Amino acid sequence: MVSLALIGAFGVVVAGVEIALFAGQDVAPWWLLALFPAGGCVYLAAGLEAWRRRPSNRTGPIMVIGALSWFVVALANTGTPALVAVGVVLATTPLAVVVWLLHAFPSGRLRSRTSRLTVVGSFVVSLVLEVPGYLFDPGASPGGMLSVGHRGDLVSAGTWLQRGAGMVVMLMTAGVLADRLRIATPGQRKVLLPLYAYGILAVLAMPLGPLLGPSAGLSVAQVVGLQIVLLAGVPVAFAAAMRRGGFARTAEIQELSAWLASSAATPELLADALGRTLGDASVQVVYASRDGRALVDGGGAPVETSALGEHRGLVDIELGSRRIGAIVYDATVIDDAELVRAAGQVAALAIDHDRLTAELRASHADLQQSRTRLVEAGDRARQRIAQDLHDGLQVELVLLALEAQHLGRMDGSADLPDAATRLRVGIDGAARHLREIVHALMPAALVERGLTAAIEDLVDRMPLPTRLAVAEVNGHLPAAVERTAYFVVAEALANAVKHAAADKVTVTLEHVPPRLVIGVTDDGVGGATQEGGVGLHGLADRVDALGGRFTIESPAGGGTHLLVELPCGS
Amino acid sequence: MRVVIGEDEALLRTGLTHVMQAAGFDVVAAVGDAHELVRSTEEHLPDIVVTDIRMPPDHKDAGLRAAMEIRREHPGIAVLVLSQHLQRAYAVELLGDRSSGVGYLLKQRIADMDTFTDDLRRIAAGGTVLDPEVVNLMVARARGHHDALDRLTPRQQQVLALMSEGRTNASIARSLSISERAVVQHTSHIYDELGLAVSDDDHRRVLAVIRYLSS
Repeated sequence: MVSLALIGAFGVVVAGVEIALFAGQDVAPWWLLALFPAGGCVYLAAGLEAWRRRPSNRTGPIMVIGALSWFVVALANTGTPALVAVGVVLATTPLAVVVWLLHAFPSGRLRSRTSRLTVVGSFVVSLVLEVPGYLFDPGASPGGMLSVGHRGDLVSAGTWLQRGAGMVVMLMTAGVLADRLRIATPGQRKVLLPLYAYGILAVLAMPLGPLLGPSAGLSVAQVVGLQIVLLAGVPVAFAAAMRRGGFARTAEIQELSAWLASSAATPELLADALGRTLGDASVQVVYASRDGRALVDGGGAPVETSALGEHRGLVDIELGSRRIGAIVYDATVIDDAELVRAAGQVAALAIDHDRLTAELRASHADLQQSRTRLVEAGDRARQRIAQDLHDGLQVELVLLALEAQHLGRMDGSADLPDAATRLRVGIDGAARHLREIVHALMPAALVERGLTAAIEDLVDRMPLPTRLAVAEVNGHLPAAVERTAYFVVAEALANAVKHAAADKVTVTLEHVPPRLVIGVTDDGVGGATQEGGVGLHGLADRVDALGGRFTIESPAGGGTHLLVELPCGS
Repeated sequence: MRVVIGEDEALLRTGLTHVMQAAGFDVVAAVGDAHELVRSTEEHLPDIVVTDIRMPPDHKDAGLRAAMEIRREHPGIAVLVLSQHLQRAYAVELLGDRSSGVGYLLKQRIADMDTFTDDLRRIAAGGTVLDPEVVNLMVARARGHHDALDRLTPRQQQVLALMSEGRTNASIARSLSISERAVVQHTSHIYDELGLAVSDDDHRRVLAVIRYLSS
């Protein structure tokens, strides 16, 4: 910023000195001579403003070079021979710079081969084809210092060659710009059209002015003055283009990150902020799907990168090594993909933050629901035990009590031993029911021998062929993990028998520290869902409560595969 | 006949003691801890030890481990293990490679006093007694592994189950109300079908059958 101010101040000083030097001249009206440094100042002001707005864009520096060329040309009107000579040699460079500007706007770079050739050509026209003019005309430089002799024919030939080549350069420029307008979006056209039209008009005014001026009744001084005003208007046209948004100021990346930190980055607002930062209102933020492969827009609609069009650039937004989205921008406005990448890096945090917040909210809601379900599952289990005890065992005991009462009244009957045996068998039955209830609550094998033995016992009791594969499970698992694992297998096996119509089942149990991996696979009818059954859902919640993972694959007709991973310390 | 009892439930320990005394057994010690059981057994060297599985000190399978230790250290002492819940694995472990003088029964079987004391005497005499429930479990499981079992007739399957329980031919004949000769025919057919070596020794045949069912 300070260096830009210094350049500006230097330019103003140069212009002031030049204007002061013109005071003693009488070759032309003083105001006409002063127009050269004044025009330079217009370029300088516009160039510095563009430079400030977009430090990484070369348009500003090009305009500053234009300003320099104006100051140099103005030297031709000073009284100092050496300075005059420099001014004479570089007399037409301001035109070449205007051509350069037109080709380079708005990205600041010459994007096509044709543009590069045309700009080089325009400098050849202004520097090389200018040579005969002062080489063979002693009157063109002070005291003929640049001249080798007087050859009017060569001077005239040189002038015509320069005009002809200049016309070719201008026609090519007009063609390139017309082509750009043709493929531009309506928004871009609104910005570019006035600029291009004016630029071409200003440049064409140079060769055409002397031809058309006299017939319009203008003096030579008036024609030259008009040409200077027209050329000095070029940076004004750029200013107009800026105002229309074609050359918006790019905010510093820090400003973007400050904005992101203080605002809720909804997709629309984020694209807006990125657009402001990058100076391209057409910026679009797209998001990567979970696997990072596909891209979707803020509304969730898929985005085809191949269908973006040749002038749309795309830069991935990455966090760590994961693609979380991409920025789509106008490659004709933004030349520097690195700038987009840098903005994307800053935005990545906001985008990820947004995603994490959404995930957190969702998981918090899940947690609440799962806790409620755990409580409900506990209540349901209690209710079922109460029901089993009440409907089964209690009724059995009442009947046995009645039978015992009956026994007491038999008093020496011959049937007494048989009745007593019946009573004992009945009590046996009640005891068996009680054992079953206790076993369902807390299996003896699990208490006595641990998980593997308990699952072996479950498998032993399966009414259909069941294979058990146990790897590396040797005791010392936390009790909560053992019990959850046991009930997962018990429920899955019960489902395989009751619902799956399976022919065979496989149970796998593997301790892969720090996890216990449990798999139950059957070849039954499938179609089981975690949501479908109370039993499975309750188990999923238990697994979840321990920080494990519960997945069920059960395509219709494709069997059921349950996979549970439980963290178990080591 | 001298008995040592291991049972941590005081009421049941007393009940068992009464049942056995009533049946003419001499209960020399009744303890409630697996370590105590091993100690008392070594001290009294009884004819038979009757023990629960889940017992102090760990309230897991200390009783079963004590029973196996006694069987290993004192082959002459018969052992009966009682439990609320029967498991195939326990039966296989308990039998080990020697099926004589061992039993594994549901706890509630003690209520049928006649059968229970009969079983006790068989075990003390070197026989094998496995609870019908654990045998059913083993046969049902083995059916998924061995096609040969499905080739047996229902009667042969009954005979196989009773053999597995450790019953003698005479006892099987009584249970099924058939002649001993018929039982012998059935058993030889079962041996052929399962590919087992013929053995006249009742104890050894239990081991062979249980191994077959568990393989």
